[in-house]
Amino acid sequence: MSNNNETATLGKDIGLTLCPTCHKVTCCKSEHCSRCDAPLIVRDYASIQKSWALLITAAILLFPANIYPITTLTNQGRVTQDTIFSGIAHLVKTDMIPIAIILFTASILVPILKIVGLSIYLSAITFKLPISKKKLMTGFHVIEWIGRWSMLDLFVISLTVAVVNMGQLLDAKPAPAATAFALVILLTQLAAKVIDTRLLWDRLEAKDDSSTNT
Amino acid sequence: MTQVQTPKIVKKKLFSPIWLLPIIALALGAWLGIKSIRESGIEVTIHFPSATGMDIGKTLVKYQGLTVGKVVDMSIDDTLQGVDVKVLMDYRSAPFINDGTKFWLVKPKATITGVEGLDTLFSGNYISILPGEGDSRSYFEAETKAPVITPGVEGLIVHIKSDKLGSLDVGSPIFYRQIPVGQVVGYHLEGTDDILVTAFVQQQYAELVKVDSQFWNVSGISVDASFSGIKVNSESLASILAGGISFSSNSHSSIAQNNHEFTLFENEEEALGGISFNLIGDGSESVSNNTSIVYRGIQIGQVVNKRLSDDGIILSAKINNLYQELLTDSAHFWLEGADISLSGIKHPERLITGSVINFIPGTGAARSSYPLLQHAPESTNNKKRLLTLSANSNPGVSSGAEIRYKKIKIGQVLSSQLSDDFNKVVYQAEIDADFVELVSSNSYFVTESAFELDASIEGVKVSTGDLNTLTNGALTLVRGTDKALAKEGDNLNVFASADDASAFFHQQGLISKRLIHQDAADLSPGSPVYYKKMQIGEVTQVNWQANDNNFAIDLAIEKAFASLLTERTVFWRNSALAINASLSGVEVDVAPLMGALKGGISLGLLDADRVSNGKNLYDNQFLALSQAQIITLSVPASARLAAKAPIRYLGHKVGEVETVTLTPNLKELTVTAYLYGEYAASFTQQDASYSIVDANISLAGITAPETILTGPYIEVFPGSSSAKASSFTAAIASAFHNIDNALVFNLSNNTLGSVKAGTAIFFRGVKIGQVDSYELSPQGTGVIMQAHIENKYKHLVNSTSVFWDLSGVKVDVGLFSGAQIETGSLETILAGGIGVATEMPTSSANQITNEQTFPLNKNLEPEWLNWAPKQEL
Repeated sequence: MSNNNETATLGKDIGLTLCPTCHKVTCCKSEHCSRCDAPLIVRDYASIQKSWALLITAAILLFPANIYPITTLTNQGRVTQDTIFSGIAHLVKTDMIPIAIILFTASILVPILKIVGLSIYLSAITFKLPISKKKLMTGFHVIEWIGRWSMLDLFVISLTVAVVNMGQLLDAKPAPAATAFALVILLTQLAAKVIDTRLLWDRLEAKDDSSTNT
Repeated sequence: MTQVQTPKIVKKKLFSPIWLLPIIALALGAWLGIKSIRESGIEVTIHFPSATGMDIGKTLVKYQGLTVGKVVDMSIDDTLQGVDVKVLMDYRSAPFINDGTKFWLVKPKATITGVEGLDTLFSGNYISILPGEGDSRSYFEAETKAPVITPGVEGLIVHIKSDKLGSLDVGSPIFYRQIPVGQVVGYHLEGTDDILVTAFVQQQYAELVKVDSQFWNVSGISVDASFSGIKVNSESLASILAGGISFSSNSHSSIAQNNHEFTLFENEEEALGGISFNLIGDGSESVSNNTSIVYRGIQIGQVVNKRLSDDGIILSAKINNLYQELLTDSAHFWLEGADISLSGIKHPERLITGSVINFIPGTGAARSSYPLLQHAPESTNNKKRLLTLSANSNPGVSSGAEIRYKKIKIGQVLSSQLSDDFNKVVYQAEIDADFVELVSSNSYFVTESAFELDASIEGVKVSTGDLNTLTNGALTLVRGTDKALAKEGDNLNVFASADDASAFFHQQGLISKRLIHQDAADLSPGSPVYYKKMQIGEVTQVNWQANDNNFAIDLAIEKAFASLLTERTVFWRNSALAINASLSGVEVDVAPLMGALKGGISLGLLDADRVSNGKNLYDNQFLALSQAQIITLSVPASARLAAKAPIRYLGHKVGEVETVTLTPNLKELTVTAYLYGEYAASFTQQDASYSIVDANISLAGITAPETILTGPYIEVFPGSSSAKASSFTAAIASAFHNIDNALVFNLSNNTLGSVKAGTAIFFRGVKIGQVDSYELSPQGTGVIMQAHIENKYKHLVNSTSVFWDLSGVKVDVGLFSGAQIETGSLETILAGGIGVATEMPTSSANQITNEQTFPLNKNLEPEWLNWAPKQEL
């Protein structure tokens, strides 16, 4: 795969860097983008740490988000507090399987997958795991794309709280898990966002390539 | 931009501050974890008899609406007698779950007073908890029913005692002026008779409950159906269905404390009818509990209770507060029921509702007990005139009988009863206002008989009254002549018939007079009283008087003859036939036939200047007119005294023997005699002397010759004592009575000779005195003769006088002188005599003193005849 080797010339090696804001290729020497005056950084090695920290926090928060009830529903005076899982279970019980699947995917599967995916991704960078760069990137994109759908749950909650407010007769309120869950989503999103993906390419390309090449 | 780039020193950070984020998250998570473990709650097991209405995870435990726990598990207990319900309590409730804590199942309740927590209705039953004191524990036995909420600062808990629960239930509202201020929170049996209802009054209304507040039931609808219509009364729609209690509040009373006990009354009237009093009656046949007390047709109270006591029936009654000022000292209560009579039915509704107690207020302060009258009191209606009628016996008139005048009803009899002394029947009657003027103070009433049969020689007449008269009787008014109208309460007479009435008034027009006599004198009520043989009255009654063994005879004299009854009036018995036979003739007096049959009394008048003793009934006219006085004499049995023997004083008749009876010992006669009124005073001195005078035939003559025909009589001489007597002892021989102040002296002789009592004393042949009696001298040596010289001759005798015996014939025979016969008068020859001659003129020196004794000389000295002193008068 000589083609690959040729094209694998890194920008930093030739004194070029990319403005993370306006994506202008600039000379490495300059500290600020000549177009948008954003600070230029060739490689953000600290982003790995940041991403890890956020990811770990999200992982921690995943527990209260699932253990604590996410909604408090007062239905004709009877107060029911639902965790994410009990809500899904309730939907299954009431034969709303498709919605249950969506909810399960969005609220449980996605955040867990995201955290697991990101931790693999970060581990791959940090510990230079021999994982195909392509696969990692594909996974990363999937994570980034699907991560926003995790907000579905919170969206439903916030919408319900705003609309269903009939006092003792029928009332929905967010429970503590909602905050935790929101933080999990936010932190995972941030963790995905904050990471400097160029580091993956820097560190893994050769090895991966070589491995692929060899 | 060609400046030299300064070397950029990048200090490699070991840790980014971003790592704080997971640390914080971790710390937060740890804290949350610890907190959730800490706040995981307390597990408590409650034992319920059944798990009905409870669901795991759904049934909550609530305290005052706050959820403090949740049922987490249920299992059948070991003995299969119930279920153990595992409850997870809020960790904050830990201090309240103690020995005294109570749990009970509250079922949702939708009552008419409101849905008790809409939430409960949908969320199902919940377990309620009442925190308690004591040690902490975790196993509880559920209460079967809700305990009473302990009074807190939120309100007041009061207990209301009732005899029945009615439609009250937990949650029934408490009203004050129809505002719900609280509710019934519980009830339970207190003993076997009472129900204690516990009520809760909200704090803001708690001060309305006073210590003397009255609570009454406002449950349901009070329907008062009577003949006057139907009255429906209810508090509020809620209380109609759910029951309720209302109460009153007296602004002056103090506020009730928690747990104060009240009594629940049946209704508002009863509750507010606060004034209790007693009615005391003889019977209570028509009185029941709740019998109304009515004033002018308005119910003002009712009988609460009745019981028997020593005084009769005591009815406890209450009068509404509203009318309490009507209850006064002179108030009257009486029973009034339906009045069914032939004239119609009054108050027909009372046939169904029972009698009522009618009431009329009076004046004064309220009393605690009143008599319950059987009939309306007199002053019920001022317009009607109430009269008291009295009759000797009930002529068939009962209460309700009409009083009529010319067959028109003018009133009615209200009641009839015996008078206090049982002598009369007393009726209460009322005269209608329109006819009051018909009844004057001397009007009277006559019974109208329903059936009148008048059979006489002319035929038989039958008349009947109306049917009402037949059952109740009726009275007819007979108007009086008096102009004064009968006043309220006047007593008028009732007569069985017009005849009775006229008889009564005839009797009314009589003057009564009482006479005293020692026997009933053959008299009986109805015996006539005559004046000059004309009946002017009659005897009304004859009564024996125990105290003096006499009879009291009451007379009634017609008013027309009132003038005959003066102080000069005397009465005597009318004998059927009075024959007055005497030497002067025979007088036959025949009384009128009526008097002869029934006995009778005559009346007469004394002479103008004499006064009768008023009360005596004399045996005959003569005695009466002479105002005889009765004396009794004890006479020796030898006296031949007979009834009608006269009592004489110096020959003048002053009295008459009435009866002569021999005493049982046969030694004496008891003589009842009359002294004629005018002399009575003179001969009733204690020392008046009575003696029997009988005919005495002797040579000296016949004394009292009339007694030979008429029998002996009694002579009387007045005494000098001032003391009066009515019984005397009469002697056979009359003692000398120095009536005209005669000169009394004694004569003595050795023999009596022919001297006797009555032997005359002669002075120059003229009788100037006599010997009254004689006796032996005490020594038996001679005879002492008591003699007297009449007053007018007193001066002829003095101490110089000499007395000699003139008796017999003196024959002096001498040889030379021949015989000389000397005699006195023939009388002296027969009866003897005593001569007297006086030597010296009488002077104060030689006056004879009383009882001086002279010798009686046998023979006359011739010289004595020559004495002729010139006496001075």
